[in-house]
Amino acid sequence: MGAAGSKLEKALGDQFPEGERYFGLENFGNTCYCNSVLQALYFCVPFREQLLEYYEKVKNPDVEENLLTCLAELFTQISTQKKKTGVIAPKRFVQRVKKENELFRGYMHQDAHEFLNFLLNELVDILEKETKGTKEHSSPPEKIPNGIHVPQANGVRKEPLVTWVHKNFQGILTNETKCLRCETVTARDETFLDLSLDIEQNSSITSCLKNFSSTETLNAEDKFFCDKCCSLQEAQKRMKIKKQPHILVIHLKRFKYMEQLGSGPNHGHYQFKLPLVQLRSMQATLTMDTFCFMRALLEIITTSPAESNSIMRMRGWMGLMYS
Amino acid sequence: MFSLPSSLTSQTFVNSQFQDQRISLLILLRIDLDFGNSAMHRVGSAGNTSNSVRARKEKRLTYVLTDADDTKHCAGVNSLALRKSSAPDNCSYLFTGSRDGRLKRWEVSENSATCSATFESHVDWVNDAVLVGENTLVSCSSDTTVKTWDCFSDGTCTGTFRQHTDYVTCLASAERNGNIVASGGLGGEVFIWDLEGALAPLTKSNEGDDDCSNGINGSFPVTSLRTISSSNSISSHTNQPQGYVPVVAKGHKESVYALAMNDSGTLLVSGGTEKAVRVWDSRTGSKTMKLRGHTDNVRALLLDPTGRFCLSGSSDSMIRLWDLGQQRCVHSYAVHMDSVWALASTPSFSHVYSGGRDLSLYLTDLATRESILLCTREHPIQKLALHDDGIWVATTDSSVHRWPIEDHNPQQVFQRGGSFLAGNLSFSRARASLEGSIPVPVYREPTLTVEGIPGIVQHEILNNRRHVLTKDNGGSVKLWEITKGVVIQDYGQVSFEKKKEELFEMVSIPAWFTVDSRLGSLSVHLDTPQCFSTELYAIDLNITEKAEDDKINLARETLKGLLAHWLAKKKVKYGTQPLANGEVTSGRDRDRDRDRDISVITEGSQGGQWRRKITELDGVEDEEFPWWVLDCVLHNRLPPRENTKCSFYLQPYEGSALQILTQGKLSAPRILRIHKVVNYVVEKMVVEKPLDSLINDAGGQLPLPFVGDGSFKSMGLKPWQKLKPSVEILCNNQVLNPEMSLATVRTYIWKKTEDLPLHTRTRWCYIIYPII
Repeated sequence: MGAAGSKLEKALGDQFPEGERYFGLENFGNTCYCNSVLQALYFCVPFREQLLEYYEKVKNPDVEENLLTCLAELFTQISTQKKKTGVIAPKRFVQRVKKENELFRGYMHQDAHEFLNFLLNELVDILEKETKGTKEHSSPPEKIPNGIHVPQANGVRKEPLVTWVHKNFQGILTNETKCLRCETVTARDETFLDLSLDIEQNSSITSCLKNFSSTETLNAEDKFFCDKCCSLQEAQKRMKIKKQPHILVIHLKRFKYMEQLGSGPNHGHYQFKLPLVQLRSMQATLTMDTFCFMRALLEIITTSPAESNSIMRMRGWMGLMYS
Repeated sequence: MFSLPSSLTSQTFVNSQFQDQRISLLILLRIDLDFGNSAMHRVGSAGNTSNSVRARKEKRLTYVLTDADDTKHCAGVNSLALRKSSAPDNCSYLFTGSRDGRLKRWEVSENSATCSATFESHVDWVNDAVLVGENTLVSCSSDTTVKTWDCFSDGTCTGTFRQHTDYVTCLASAERNGNIVASGGLGGEVFIWDLEGALAPLTKSNEGDDDCSNGINGSFPVTSLRTISSSNSISSHTNQPQGYVPVVAKGHKESVYALAMNDSGTLLVSGGTEKAVRVWDSRTGSKTMKLRGHTDNVRALLLDPTGRFCLSGSSDSMIRLWDLGQQRCVHSYAVHMDSVWALASTPSFSHVYSGGRDLSLYLTDLATRESILLCTREHPIQKLALHDDGIWVATTDSSVHRWPIEDHNPQQVFQRGGSFLAGNLSFSRARASLEGSIPVPVYREPTLTVEGIPGIVQHEILNNRRHVLTKDNGGSVKLWEITKGVVIQDYGQVSFEKKKEELFEMVSIPAWFTVDSRLGSLSVHLDTPQCFSTELYAIDLNITEKAEDDKINLARETLKGLLAHWLAKKKVKYGTQPLANGEVTSGRDRDRDRDRDISVITEGSQGGQWRRKITELDGVEDEEFPWWVLDCVLHNRLPPRENTKCSFYLQPYEGSALQILTQGKLSAPRILRIHKVVNYVVEKMVVEKPLDSLINDAGGQLPLPFVGDGSFKSMGLKPWQKLKPSVEILCNNQVLNPEMSLATVRTYIWKKTEDLPLHTRTRWCYIIYPII
């Protein structure tokens, strides 16, 4: 493993970024989904920095261990390594994950995108609980004054409490529907943490994004009930990004769920490639569109334990994203 | 067929593909035999041997209620057609097609327009109408049909073409060829009809047959209202030779929203969501070219008489002039600020009038590009028709207006000032308006107005499932009684939401009908069997001639009321028609005038929806009604329904001295009121003191000081209201209002679906029942 690390170092040579650490994560048996998400998040610099910053603040032995502290600990561990490359076993974090959610307990293959969602939601919950706790001066019998309001709050979904996780990943989508008869546009806003893009073979992310915001026509048996026309009419529907997130998480839907094959990703060889040129142009257009940072999350599923390989690949990605 | 917007939840499907009434009778017998067996609700494919997976819903009966006189439209006008008279009396005819599903003929003179006929048969919006030949009016509708009418009759439909499978949005006719009509619709369907061919064979084989059989889609058999009475077997219809097939202009990938044809009918242009203008040879249906340039839906098209030039109006707010000879766009005019929906040109094709979503009517000189704002309306402009020195403007409002124009010399208008040069980029107008140069309209007032009635735009079914609150385009809020089809209260211009809250009643009655307002008036939809799920006691409906606890099925009463005219005519026609138990239309004084404004829409035994005024039904339409309607009205038979009972327990209230009356579960109709339960308790109650002494103790005075809801007071004393030892019934620790029904208690107090536990409690004094 050490040899692999130095190889990587050699390969990078002068290009090795200042202060950066490239560490592989040990696979405990089908934890690659977890590792790839961790790598992605780690190299998501704004997120990493804010997490470390947060950890500095709350570093307190009294604080109960939770996913957030485990993650922060792991990131601190990586960033404070003396060596530039190497391998780390994210044991504590993985144990914590398995404790929190039985879904990840077995040795089943998991979906990295699902895991990221779980992780981010979990982090948000922890942060929200904390802010609530500090607001109410961490009074333990919290539920009694709030007793009546609790179900309502759940029903309407939490009031917009914006945590730093939100600030990094949350954007607003606008769902626009235009009735083709009266041409009235009805718009509905919704927040998102990631965009799930359908991909086609040999296409670029740019075209996937284009497809995402392309117009869908509601017609035939699936007409739209227009309030203005009081009747069913044809309509055009499209999604627009109203507020872009600082970090755009793109989930490339590599797999189509196939019922007959049972659950889980399809292990068949997949031809999808993202040619670097296209990626670069995509990044250019996106930055033009004021996307500050951009991070594509790929489901890197490596069944081989050659984590350094995956790092190499990741590095390629990072380099693209942050160069 | 077109589908009605249905908010209904899953329902018991009874197969409706019985083309033969004999089969449906057979099924009915089976239902009768197995009555009460819930498994038999699913008749499913019992009479159908095919393996069709999609179970069709039972045919639906809809009735449309309008609140005012028949001479006006009650929804936006989608189409205009004009017939100038050649006679010297100078009376012209304007034909309007409206979203209310009807067409009207107006006799127009210099300063008046009177409605002289209503063409009613479409069951959804009339989207377009054109006049062809001497006296044929052709209309198309969202009900997927194209209909032909004798335009000078008092509303005779001469043909129905069912070739389209989706909304038919537009029509085009040829000025000098009275036989050719093209129809375009959603899904890219464009057909070119030779009316002579389409109508001829049918008039030969069946006098008065008003339907065109369909060569391609076999699922729409020939339907005729008039011939059905004479034909007693279906086979006569199915054996009929397949009729006329129109020319298909094939190749549109997306919906068509506009059509135009040249004078001789040799050239057809179409536009739609493809954003391109397509040109066809209308004799063969073959494509000749495709013109690209617009960036949004093409909503209006015009061809010059020779077929050389084409004008198009689009949702991209542009008007374009195309030279079909050169196959290119020769001019684009940025006149409007929003979508262009209507175009009309001077006969010489030198000037164009245009209207659209920006509520404005402009005149543009096609050569000099000079443009001027003629007038501004309150509603988007949908259609224009030139008429001598006036232009008829139809909007999404139900009124139509005529505005003055300089017919012979349009150029004169420009001399009034305020004109501008049309740019050729779509944002040039928007920029001009930003810079503050908003033009002032030349005309302020129309010269003639054909008034309409404000259409209903919002509605809410109230909890009592008899009243519907509506709001119309003019802001008036009204309360309808659905079972009678009348407005019972006109609140004027008040807040709809507030009124809705005000009228909230805590009652729980199952939904037995659905409502929509797409026709500008209320359409009430009845579907079997769920429409028969609601029964109320006679006393609650204030029906005095019946015993107070007679159960009235709302749908049955409504149907009988609706078809009273039909039944009466039937009786006359057939002498002694066996009317079930002689109780049909017993004592319900129906307002005859009101009935005139109710139409029924339903699907006959042979497919194809039809619409008629209930006063115009002639008593022989047996096969044109769904079997379940006839069953109910003629034979007083209702389909099996779900359990209407509600089970509950009666227990003494904790700490109360009462003895337990019954151990087991009690069952009663869910509409049973709590006071009946009180009565029951009183009857069963084992008390130490005799009842009389109790009453004396209590003071023995009548009536009870009731402080219930207001409606109760107004109803006066009811028989049960005699003084009895006061018994309170509680549920979930709340004292129940005796006016509540068991269903209401279950929905609003118990809030669970399980059996109700009711607790009884006595007090030997008056009780003021709480207002809950």
